[in-house]
Parts: sequence; C-alpha cells; structure tokens
Amino acid sequence: MTQYCDDPVILNQWHPLSSFDEIVVGQMHSTVLLGCSISYQLTAQGSLSVWLCRDVNFSLPLKRAYGFLWTSLGTPPDEIFAVGELDETDRQNVATGVFGVNVSFGRAIENFLDMGHFPFVHTGILGEEPHTEVKEYDVDVSESRDEIMATRCRFYQPQASLASEGGADVDYVFRVPHINCALLYKSSPGYEAEGRMDVIYMFLQPMGPEWTRAHTGMCVIDSKNSYQGIRYFQQVIFGQDKSILENQFPKRLPLDSRAETPIRADKSAIAYRRWLTKKGLTYGVIPAI
Amino acid sequence: MKLYDYELSGNCYKVRLFLSILDLSFDTQTVDFYPGREHKSEALLRLNPLGQLPIFEDADKVLCGSDVILSHLAANYDKSGLWYSPKQRLDIDKWIRFADEITATASAARLHDTFFYDLDIATARAGAERLFRNLDEHLWFSEQRGYDWLVPTRVPTLADITCFPYVALSEEGGISRADYPAIRRWCDRIKRIHGFIPMPGIFSTSKAA
Amino acid sequence: MASFQQFDVEYEMKVDLSQWHPIASSSDLPLRHVYQGQLWGRELAVWRADDGHINVWENRCLHRGVRLSIGLNEGSELRCLYHGWRYANRTAGCTYIPAHPADAPARTICNNTYQCVEAHGLVWSAIAPESSFEGQDVLEGLEPLALRPIPIAAPLHLVQKLAPDYPFGTLTHRDDTSLTLQYGQAKLQLFLQPVDAGKTIMRGLLVPPPVDSVAALLHHNATMTALRDEIELAATRLDPPTAIDVKFAPVAKGLARMPDIDNAGPEVELRAKVARKWQVAEQVMAFRLEALSGQFPTFQPGAHIDVNLPNGMSRQYSLTNGPGETDHYTIGVKHDIASRGGSTCLHDDVQEGDVLAISAPHNNFPLRRDAVKTILIAGGIGITPLLSMAKTLKAQELPFELHIFAQSKDDLAFPNILHNLGASTIPHTGLTPQATCDVIAGVLANYTPAQHVYICGPGAMLAATRELATKAAWPDEAVHFEYFKNTHKIEYNTTFEIALSRSALTLQVPAGKTILQVLRDNGIEAPSSCEQGACGTCLMTVIEGEPDHQDVYLSTTERAANQKIITCVSRSKSNRLVLDI
Repeated sequence: MTQYCDDPVILNQWHPLSSFDEIVVGQMHSTVLLGCSISYQLTAQGSLSVWLCRDVNFSLPLKRAYGFLWTSLGTPPDEIFAVGELDETDRQNVATGVFGVNVSFGRAIENFLDMGHFPFVHTGILGEEPHTEVKEYDVDVSESRDEIMATRCRFYQPQASLASEGGADVDYVFRVPHINCALLYKSSPGYEAEGRMDVIYMFLQPMGPEWTRAHTGMCVIDSKNSYQGIRYFQQVIFGQDKSILENQFPKRLPLDSRAETPIRADKSAIAYRRWLTKKGLTYGVIPAI
Repeated sequence: MKLYDYELSGNCYKVRLFLSILDLSFDTQTVDFYPGREHKSEALLRLNPLGQLPIFEDADKVLCGSDVILSHLAANYDKSGLWYSPKQRLDIDKWIRFADEITATASAARLHDTFFYDLDIATARAGAERLFRNLDEHLWFSEQRGYDWLVPTRVPTLADITCFPYVALSEEGGISRADYPAIRRWCDRIKRIHGFIPMPGIFSTSKAA
Repeated sequence: MASFQQFDVEYEMKVDLSQWHPIASSSDLPLRHVYQGQLWGRELAVWRADDGHINVWENRCLHRGVRLSIGLNEGSELRCLYHGWRYANRTAGCTYIPAHPADAPARTICNNTYQCVEAHGLVWSAIAPESSFEGQDVLEGLEPLALRPIPIAAPLHLVQKLAPDYPFGTLTHRDDTSLTLQYGQAKLQLFLQPVDAGKTIMRGLLVPPPVDSVAALLHHNATMTALRDEIELAATRLDPPTAIDVKFAPVAKGLARMPDIDNAGPEVELRAKVARKWQVAEQVMAFRLEALSGQFPTFQPGAHIDVNLPNGMSRQYSLTNGPGETDHYTIGVKHDIASRGGSTCLHDDVQEGDVLAISAPHNNFPLRRDAVKTILIAGGIGITPLLSMAKTLKAQELPFELHIFAQSKDDLAFPNILHNLGASTIPHTGLTPQATCDVIAGVLANYTPAQHVYICGPGAMLAATRELATKAAWPDEAVHFEYFKNTHKIEYNTTFEIALSRSALTLQVPAGKTILQVLRDNGIEAPSSCEQGACGTCLMTVIEGEPDHQDVYLSTTERAANQKIITCVSRSKSNRLVLDI
C-alpha cells in the first residue's frame, strides 16, 4: 500500500506498535510499519509474537518497554533509549491514546518540540496572547548518548496549575533520544522542591513516509488524582495539533537549511534536522541538497 | 443541566456549540470515550442504553443524541424562536437528515484515519464528496439569492449547527474542501456567529469587517 | 461516442506556465476570507484586503510550510494559524513574529506572490507570465454574468476535447484554454483552468447578462454538471495521470542561517513620486509618496525612511502608515526655521509630482504586540512613528493610550487620523514643561508587568519622560524611545584602534573621523541613516573594549552592558575596541 522502505537508518531501529492496554488477549492485531503490514498477538498463556503479514513464519524481533510493544524490521540496537522516570515505583504510566496523522514523523516531532505555537493553537491551555515570547533556551546534541536535549525552556501558561490564580512561566525540558520519539519534562505538582518531573512522551510509529501513528502517554507521580483529566487534556492538545500538521507542505520533513525560514525560537528543530542529516536518514524526509 | 461530553466528538460539539450560542450555563462530565470506553460502562449505559454520546440531563429529563438535545434546547431556551421555528421546521429537518448522512460518510472517514476504525475508507470518502458537491451547489445558489445560511432565513438555524462540525472536520478524513468554495465561505460565517466556540480541529476565524 | 477509442493513447500533459487563467470568481473573495485556489499543481492562497486589493500568494507560510489558506484574513494582514506570523497586504512581507516581539523581522521574509488581475467578474493569475494580462476583447466594456464554476476530476486535455460538446448554440472560437459558443445574441465563454494533472475547473461567462439571471445560472449549472459527469466517466477509462512536479523555491541564503537581531540598512535606492502634499497642522506638511514602478518594500510600525532632498541633503522621516497601507509611504514634516534647511526645502521647494530618491524603511524602533497595555507619548512632530503604532494596535484591538503634547489644538498633526483613533487618543495642549511632567508622571503611575511605553518627541521631553519612568519603577526593557535629533555635542578628538574580528583587520581611528567613516574608507560596507547617533542604523556589536557612548539611541542598560556601539558618533574609552564584523 505505501512505498517500500530501504533506508537502513530507520530500519535498524526499534519502533512502537501498540500500548499493551490496547492488545486484546487471544486476538490477532494488524498494523503497518514502514510500508510493511505486520501482525502481532498475545496469547492467553502470555506468549507474544510479531510477524510479517505476508508470511506467518517470518517472525520479527520484539521488546516490551514502557508499557508498549516494540519491533524492528532490521537489526536494532540491544537496548531502547533509557527513561529513568519510567522505572520509578511511585509513578503511573498512562497511555493517553494512539492517533493517526497524515504527515511524516519528523514534522510531528518538531511540533512536539515547538513552544511558539502554544498561544495560537492551544489557546487558553498552553499559552495565551499577548504572552507570545519564546525566550532564549539552550540546545545540546550529545554525541555519547546520541540524543538532543533542549533545556532552560520556559513559556507563559495561562493557568499554570490548578492551585494558581493567574498565569506564570512554566519550565520545560525536551528530549529526543530516537529519530521518532520525543519526551517533555515538566515539574511535577507538589514535588517542585525535590526537582522531580512528570514526563509526557510521544512514541511515533512511521506507517509510511507521510503517515504516522502517534502513541502518546505520560508518566506522572501523583496517584491521588484521577489521570483521566490529564489523558483528556493530552487528547485535546493532539487534536489541535493534528489539523495544523496535516496542512504542512511538503509533508516530509525538509532537511535542507534553505527549505524554510528558522527563527531563534526554532533552535531545537534546527538541531533535530541537522542530527537527522548527520545520520544519513532518507525515509520520511527530503534530504539536504 | 449536565452534559456528558467527549471533547473530540463532533456530535458532542454540536451541543456544546449551541449551548454557548444560547449562553446557557451547564455542568460537564467528561467521559473517557477513548481509550477508556467509558460510554459503554454500566453507569452510562443506564443513562443511554445505546452506549453513545452526547447525553444531556435537564431537571428530570435524560436526553440522548445530538439531534434530540438540540431540539430540546431550541424548544425551551431559544428566546428568539428562530433556531428551530415551526415555519422552517420541515426544511430544517431535511438538513438534519442530511447532517446524518455527513456523519455516516465524512465522520466515518475521520474515524478511520484518526482512530483506526476498520471500515471501507474509499466508500466513505466517495460518499462525502457526493454530499459536499450537493451542499456546495446549494450554498452557492443561496448566496446568489442573498441568504447566508442553509435554510433561506436571515439568521442561522439548527440546520447549520448540525451540518457544520463534520464538514469542518472533513480534512481529518482525507476529504479536502478546496473544490467547495461556497462551503468554505459558509464555514467562515458560522465561525462568526456570536457565541461560537472552537474544538480541536476547528479553529476560530478573524473578525468580520 | 466514437471518440472514446482515442483515449487509450498515452497523453503527455503539456504544461504552459506563462498563460493567464481565471482562478476564482470575484464573488469568491468576500472580505475577511481566504480562498484556496490551485493552478498547474501549485496551491494558491487568494484574499481580498479591506482596501480592495487582491493578493495571490503561494499557499505556504515560509516559516514551517503551513497553508496560508487556513490563515486569518484580518483585513490588512494575513496571519498564519501556526505561530501567528503576520504578512502585509500587497507586499506579502512579514511584519511581525510573535515569538520574538522585540525584533523587527528581516525585510526579506516575504512570501512568494503571483500577479493578479480582476476582470470580467473573474480573478486571473499566471504562474510565470511572459506578458501582461490581456482582457478578452469580446467582453470589452460588458458586464458578463459569471456562472457557477464546476470542478471536473479530469485532466485538461480530456476537458478540451469534450467541452465543445456543451449544448449551447455553435462553437465560434476555440483555443488551448477557452472556447466561445454563440446562440443568437448570447455568447458563452468557457474557460478551462488547469488545476492539476487530474483536475480542471470550467468557468463560464455569459454576455449579455440575461434578464432572469438566477434562471440562467440554474440552467447552466445543471448543463455543466451533466457535462462534468460525462467527462469524469470518460476520465475513469484513462490511466491515472502523473502528478505535475512542483518544486518549492529555496529561501534566500541570508534567511537560512539562524539570525541575530538584525538591523541592517537598505541596499536599494528607491524612486518615489510625491503624489500629494498637504497641510496637516500649523507648520506641518504631510507628503504621500508612491513608487514610480513596482511595489514599495514592507515596513513595520515605527519605521523611518531616508529622503534625499533636491538641495543635496538627506533627512529621516517616520512613516505614519497603518497595517496593510502598503501602496504608499506617508510622512509628516515640521517646518523648523532654525534647521539646516531640510524642512524648509520640503515645505517650500518640493511639489506634488516631484520625484525623490528614498531609502527602504529602517525598522529600528519596533513595536511589541505582546504588551498587556501600550502607552504612546508624543511630543510635537514626534507623533509620526507613534501614529503608525497606534493604527497597528487599534487594528489588532490591543489596548493602548496615545498621549499627544502640543502647543495648541492647531499644532495637533493629522487630525483625521487622530479622530479615527477615537477615545484612546488624549491630546494635551498648551502645557508648561512642569505641567507636562506632571501629566506624564500621572500616565506612568501604575506600572504593571508587561506594559510598554514608547516615547518620541523633543530631546528635553524624552529625557524627562525617561527619568519619570525610572522613578515610577518601569524597567529599562519596557521603555522605548526614539530621538529625531541628537543635540549633544559630539567630541571627536580621541584616537583609538578598532579590530574587526571577522575580517581579521585592525584600523586606526584618528581624531576628527568617526568609526563609520574609517570603515568606509577601508572598503567595508556599513549601513547608516541619520549619521548623528539617533536612529540606530549603524549599530554594531562590541566584543571587547569600553565604548564611549555619544549617541541617543541605546538604552541605559545597553550603554552599561557595553556590547553595542553606534558607530557614526561614538568612540572608545579604551585604547582598542573589537567589533563583531
């Protein structure tokens, strides 16, 4: 149905297929990854398998991590990127839904990293006019960990927390430890003094070069409040972003520096594009000239 | 009054939109439609055995389905009497049925593309395109005759409220509105109704001149 | 039809980008709407500004590629839905980037535009025209009835073959993209707009317009719809066409780098005609300047231009233009008898019809649009840049107050504009300096975060206001000012060295010469405008050394930080300055 993928950079990675919450025991599920139809099943005895649809004997490597089933169509690394918070015992890891979006995974990652759109796309929730300024932040590309970190990010949020009356600047840290996965760290309400953070993540499943399945979730400390409110909120945010993402052209992320006009607020996006170019990625992107 | 609501549902949005236009206050109970499937829970099935949203409580009444809720609100809270007037009722009802067809096609396409519902996407899209051609033609000629709304009146009616959401969300199901300029102008006009509120996927527009 | 057999033959789409095509009906462009068009596979965002001008732009914001057709038409500017970037009517230049409210966007951030002509009830455009639009002779002088356009899911060549079958009289004329049918006195012209490889729009014009227009519209709509169905059926027998290849043009080299805060001056000398000269206050003449050819560059509120006068002098004047008023520049000139002759020349010698050389706008006094409230304080002719700011704030319904201090009511310039600005404009006339200070102190009394004040007027008033602001606890970054003149005595008698870090050059600045002059003497291009330390155009970054600030442009904080220098007047306290050029 979609184009065949022959890009080793993306083939030799782990990719998410499904949250375990959505796998019905005993039922065969199918999806598409990098243009290939894939099936997976969890038996009543607890045995898990993933295979190529066209050949039930062609089984694929699989991994369970962070509440999700991951697979690879190539030779993936031994481990998936680490997320320390997801191992902490006093947390809830909540899958907040999986959604289809008709754009490349790269565009979705950049949207996740971007703050400038908060007052316009997530009006009244993550931002509000006239507080539109994106203050200078820091971006670091770590060679050793092979990931991108954006720190000292802050943006004015209209209702910073349930307790506060008015708006205030909220601090964020963004992390991209994988070509198609991104995480956002925010102070956990009540744990600011200890410096503990809540994690919001987006693990993208590239179905095609211009078609993505977004697995979203969050890992929060607070177990007293129902997480349904936060899950609801995540879905609203995604729904608002989806219609913008689907109106971006070209749909594949253009990596050439002369394709689009960056401003200082786009530092993390620029770093992401350069990182992808350095890796030699060709799938789902328009490589630099 | 209480609305059992799911933010991403176009049918729930029809009710939220009309409540805002009528400037009514109400409580909201957000239902974990997805992935929680809360609308199929025992508690909600007791309110609506069909297991669907929206559900609306007003005093001792429990109303299910957006069309039913909208006509209840119009009958009891519309001071102007023009949103669902007896004079225009037959015409408005025709459009409410048309809106159901839009739901069956354009909304289905959106469920397929966004929520991975298993259905025949080609049929859904082709069905929506046929309806949109029809709608665009109707709106174009209405404009020629000096009317801004679906029913030939000076003000919008329930016809517009019911048809609007899944038309405005059609691109999420892969149905572009580029071929339907009259529909695009009508959507702008609806966004300028006093009390208009957006939903994820439907943005506000600029003020009228 | 026997002709079906022909369609098994492979057909190569002949793409002619030079041709003019109708892309919309005039009635498709009501105010405050953006129409989504397409021609030869290129998407277009088409919108009518409040002044009637029709804009045809590439349907893609150059920031992150989001469609401009989902943007907001605010009457004089189009706002992108993603990050709120604003683009001006006519020029398509970016006038504001909300993420960086303190910076003026580089003038070169400009969306790609296409030419456009409105004629015969239709809107015409061409991707790469080689000649100007020629109206249809057959329609000359007549008001045709524009029929409902019909999109057809079929390639152009198929529609070209089958459209002549349209049941209406006889075919009298035909070319690549239109055909004319005659039935008695009535003439129907059908235009075929190639949308993309697999879609064509048929647009009809009927002359003379029939008496019962609705009946005619209904009839032709039904007939065209029937023809469309036939053509679409025939199209299903063809192989799916190959899409037209459309490449997006790369952005200008300078824009692809991560930008610094950029205040570079103009590179182009523009020629402007004085379209109108009129009195707007006691001793104040207004001049409306229009481009001799083409389009003036985009300006931002607070901008000024250099005007070369016939007497050989060059003077700076602020633009009073509001958003979207992009087909002219309007300036206000106060006659200053004590001046060196610039204002006298403009008042007495320059007439309507004269041509002047002017610069493109310098945006060194930018307006933030993210304040919770903006206070504008104008003294005398200092009103001019603040008028532009007030119009912008009013258009966006952002809260502001414009306080104007003048000697008398007759000295209030541009009374019509002031009247239109309404209650936000508060004149104060005939006050003594002390009374003025008292009023200003009152205006600045209740500072709250995210308020901003902009001041422009005589030097003494500016100095007093800045002091009052500091006393009322206004932070430095919230106080913005523009001096028209630098009345301080400039000391030129020091000698020092400048090192240019990027050019690996070291130069001596002798007494009597400015840094700016020395740079130019050594072949280094350095922009400037007022050359008296007021406007900020010649600003450069200091990496090392202690500048001797003699300008009136930098704020107190900036002077203390010693990282910037106004090179036309300032010198050095240390022996050596290292500049980042």
